[in-house]
Amino acid sequence: MKADIVSPEGTLFSGEIDSIVVPGVNGSFEMLNNHAPIIAILGKGDVRLKGKGILIDNEVKDKFTVKQGEVVLPINSGTVEMKNNHVIVLAE
Amino acid sequence: MANLKDIRTRIQSVGSTMQITNAMKMVSAAKLKKAQESIEKMRPYAEKLTELLAGLSANLDAELGGDYAEQREINKVLLVPVTSNRGLCGALNSNIIKQTLRLIENDYKSQEVDILTIGKKAYEQLSKKHKVVANHGEIFDDLTYENVAKVAQKIMDDFVEKKYDKVILIYNSFKNAATQIVKTEQFLPIMTETTESNVVLDYIYEPSQAEIVLELIPKSLKTQFYKMIRDAWASEHGARMTSMHKATDNAKEMKAELTLQYNKARQAVITGEILEIVSGAEALKG
Repeated sequence: MKADIVSPEGTLFSGEIDSIVVPGVNGSFEMLNNHAPIIAILGKGDVRLKGKGILIDNEVKDKFTVKQGEVVLPINSGTVEMKNNHVIVLAE
Repeated sequence: MANLKDIRTRIQSVGSTMQITNAMKMVSAAKLKKAQESIEKMRPYAEKLTELLAGLSANLDAELGGDYAEQREINKVLLVPVTSNRGLCGALNSNIIKQTLRLIENDYKSQEVDILTIGKKAYEQLSKKHKVVANHGEIFDDLTYENVAKVAQKIMDDFVEKKYDKVILIYNSFKNAATQIVKTEQFLPIMTETTESNVVLDYIYEPSQAEIVLELIPKSLKTQFYKMIRDAWASEHGARMTSMHKATDNAKEMKAELTLQYNKARQAVITGEILEIVSGAEALKG
């Protein structure tokens, strides 16, 4: 599925992933391919991306860390929308 | 006729002024490019947020906006003029100050008006005669979303606590490097727009739809505020670039004029000397 992570300061990530874990306000949850359409509020925590060959732009590389094959982005709050196999994270 | 040495000194000083203004122009041009890029960069975020909010509130019929949309009788108004911290940018800042004063004297004559300035120039001008509660010029030193959001949050809290009944933003909107437009915008309470109902997928909402809307509204307010600051920032550099360009041109013109004057004076001195020599020689012949 396709994922975009955008923040007010720019697009942080855009590309293909296998799954994504987001820190929902009522607890973290993971979304896989063909997840039902959802809009959720995110709290403080980590957004974790899984997949092969995830490429992060050099400009924003220092915001991400790689842990056990996952690409991790800490956020303060945000919103996530998933529809038609396209997930968009609005991160702050 | 001014003497040669005076003119020479003036040519030199005009020349060095020209170098300074030219350097400032270059610096502003580079900064302007950066500022424009960051406006571009925030667009996807702002657009997605607006889209989500519009989609969500379209099929909720309850009065939305929560505390931020509450219309009260206007007794206390907060004006937020945004200027630069530094000068040398043409009429940019004085336009903002003029507009602020106009609002105080005309539109909000009968209300109590507080001012929260962003930028040193507005603070210096307005704090003499009016009640300025705070100045947040420092956000231009490190212009990140986080810093701007803090200021926006403070203003929003004040509104919710009923310290103010209306918040107005006054800033320069960037049109192009030569043109900036003074904009007066109502920040709070939110103007409820009637959104056309669009096709809504059957979403799962986490937590509930209403809660999501309430969560998104402050976010969209902060984004609006951030966008406004970015706009003002780009305007400042655009204006400075244009005015420094003009200053360089003027200096060039002045330098050319002075050089002409210098050459004329030099010519006159030489003519005088030749005249003296020739008449001296004539006298000796006699």
